[in-house]
Amino acid sequence: MLLSRKDNLSPAYDEHLQRYLFGRECLVEELPFSEEIIKRHVRKRFITLHPGIEPATDGLMALLSGTKRWVCRRCGNTDPREFGYCSCSRCGKTCVYCRHCLNMGVVRACSRLATWSGPAPERTSLPWRDSSRICEWTGTLSDVQEKVADDLDQYQSEGKSFLIWAVCGSGKTEIMFRALEHALRLGERAVLATPRTDVVRELFPRFKAAFPKVPISALYAGSEDKDPEAPFVIATTHQLIRFYRYFDRVFIDEVDAFPYHYDPMLEYAVLKSAKEKAPIAYLTATPPPVLKSAFLSGKLPGAKIARRFHGYPLPVPKDCWAGNWRKLVGQGRLPESFNQWVRAKMESGKQIFVFVPSVTLLREVTELLQKRGLARVAGVHAEDPDRHTKVMFFREGQIRILVTTTILERGVTISGVEAAVLGADDPIFDERALVQIAGRVGRSASQPAGDVIYFHNGRTLEMIRARRHIEQMNSEGGF
Amino acid sequence: MNGDRCLFCRKLREEPLHFRTLLSPETPPGLCRSCAGKLAPIDPRRSCERCGRDLGRLDGRLVHGNICRDCERWAGSGRNGLFGKNRSLYSYNEMMKEIITAFKFRSDAVMAQAFRKEFRTAYRRLIRDDPSLWIRIRKGGRLFRNDPSHVIIPIPLSEERLQQRGFNQAVLLTENLGRPITEALIRRSGEEKQSKKNRRQRLKIPRNNPFTLDPQTASSIAGKKVILVDDIYTTGATLRLAAAAIEPAAPLSIDSLTLVHG
Ligand SMILES: [Zn+2]
Ligand SMILES: [Zn+2]
Ligand SMILES: [Zn+2]
Ligand SMILES: [Zn+2]
Repeated sequence: MLLSRKDNLSPAYDEHLQRYLFGRECLVEELPFSEEIIKRHVRKRFITLHPGIEPATDGLMALLSGTKRWVCRRCGNTDPREFGYCSCSRCGKTCVYCRHCLNMGVVRACSRLATWSGPAPERTSLPWRDSSRICEWTGTLSDVQEKVADDLDQYQSEGKSFLIWAVCGSGKTEIMFRALEHALRLGERAVLATPRTDVVRELFPRFKAAFPKVPISALYAGSEDKDPEAPFVIATTHQLIRFYRYFDRVFIDEVDAFPYHYDPMLEYAVLKSAKEKAPIAYLTATPPPVLKSAFLSGKLPGAKIARRFHGYPLPVPKDCWAGNWRKLVGQGRLPESFNQWVRAKMESGKQIFVFVPSVTLLREVTELLQKRGLARVAGVHAEDPDRHTKVMFFREGQIRILVTTTILERGVTISGVEAAVLGADDPIFDERALVQIAGRVGRSASQPAGDVIYFHNGRTLEMIRARRHIEQMNSEGGF
Repeated sequence: MNGDRCLFCRKLREEPLHFRTLLSPETPPGLCRSCAGKLAPIDPRRSCERCGRDLGRLDGRLVHGNICRDCERWAGSGRNGLFGKNRSLYSYNEMMKEIITAFKFRSDAVMAQAFRKEFRTAYRRLIRDDPSLWIRIRKGGRLFRNDPSHVIIPIPLSEERLQQRGFNQAVLLTENLGRPITEALIRRSGEEKQSKKNRRQRLKIPRNNPFTLDPQTASSIAGKKVILVDDIYTTGATLRLAAAAIEPAAPLSIDSLTLVHG
């Protein structure tokens, strides 16, 4: 009797440890608690330990071919090239480790990842729940947006996932507000996940303005807007990986994600960070094949928004043969058809994006265009340290031609800009990439049309699919 | 682990196809040409006879003959002991700093394999430089292949540091040689960091050596030529301390091989 009363007075677990680990997954050595405390919690099953790397159980091919495949539990990596081996002095064996998530601290086969399996911590007060309006956004939704926003909230509240398939430039962020407000009112935790840091940075102030009473955390490498108690988190894929069964609702924003749109780690991170059965809302202009077929067959509820907010159709891309562009550029020349198009655009005072398949080509093409001296040209890629300056000059119109390998920040909607893909037959440009690139053109109501040209050396299936995709969206939009 | 991608930047290496790569099913792991091009390899014909430093990077006034001033100091210090010479593959530079960071501090152990070929070449050159070997060849003795007269000893980490990192970088580098490794030394933990001392302090050998010899290995060292292996030669103090710990086992000579001179 006495003993049990004492137990009730002091909980069997450490509350700091509980708060630290709840909803998260950490390497044991990362936990700022003594080994003895951790061991005690493991013994009492408040902490569960999992091996960092396990043999992959899926994949019949791997079984048949006899090659060993591994899964990193932290990041979901299964690419055999992204694992390394070494004689490990911790376990005394040859130990495999994940090279994919090394920058978060190495995960080895003998490492242990800890998760909290005890009771959830008491939450401090959630004052926003009592205010009459949590969302203070004063804009209005179009009828179409209104309907989608309602459906999204309805399905999510029933615990069902939802796909929003919306053309580039249709105004998707505001559609999430209603469902998010509902979640916050219920005291739930929600996350908005995106593969791109710049999207997190762009969305954070918009959500902050719309939900001023709610603590919001923006998670990306180097972020200063972190709040471990925030009920709403906007995070990149990499940051999401630290959570474990934490969120009640998930929004995935994969609009304009190229070249990060094929990232199996995002899917893994989302599934890990969400509670089991948490509904997922997927916002995209180009749904990946699995979601697309689930939606079309009726298994996944969702909605299509085929019209841009300004009410004009999407520009339909045109194909233009450019000969062996790779060889020509190697010889220091640009394809003639491409040259002519660029000259015509410069003469009519336009600004253009030129998408190329690699950073090497980006440098070469930029230099060749600069030599021609038609206008000011700059090249920019995802890791370019001068990226923001160059984008600013382009936005101000001082740079007229921007050669790039990546979709730029969504804030970069330049009125009247047109786009070319030089080397559209390169395998990096799949249907999704080509559709997203076309979506950069005609975004303003004052200049809703413009050229999108795929310069190629042999039309690919992906190019044909991209055009069909856009035409289909336009016809559904009533054009 | 296949070698078609650069160990450091992970991009395709696009190695020019030549006969050997066509014949082997897997390319050995390594760096791409762009990353390798940013390293500063040391030309052995232009390096300090003793410490292997790239003399081309030194102020000419600091060099007398083929020996750098630091080495002259060591020679006059009376603390050089049996330590003979060191050879290093690269001078320390920005690129090497990044590689060492990935390797040691981010625990990307496979980085050691990026230098396999170069490490083997440097080892062969180091032991071939050995005049007594030429004497033996002239006398019709064994060639250097699997020469049993050499004992390879990696510089150890303290148990504490080893547990922290999960591997000893010197051992991984030594594994590149594909020869037997003798872990003859034990390192005490809690020694002062070399980088925290000033130059004069570093050139001195402290009274209590952090290294001790594993007595069980002493018999395998007696009368042999020892090659110590480490990742970096900074002032030479660490290697000389290790040499001092080995001396009681009566080796014939003690030389060393490191990845970096910095
Ligand atoms: Zn991983
Ligand atoms: Zn291990
Ligand atoms: Zn490289
Ligand atoms: Zn020297």
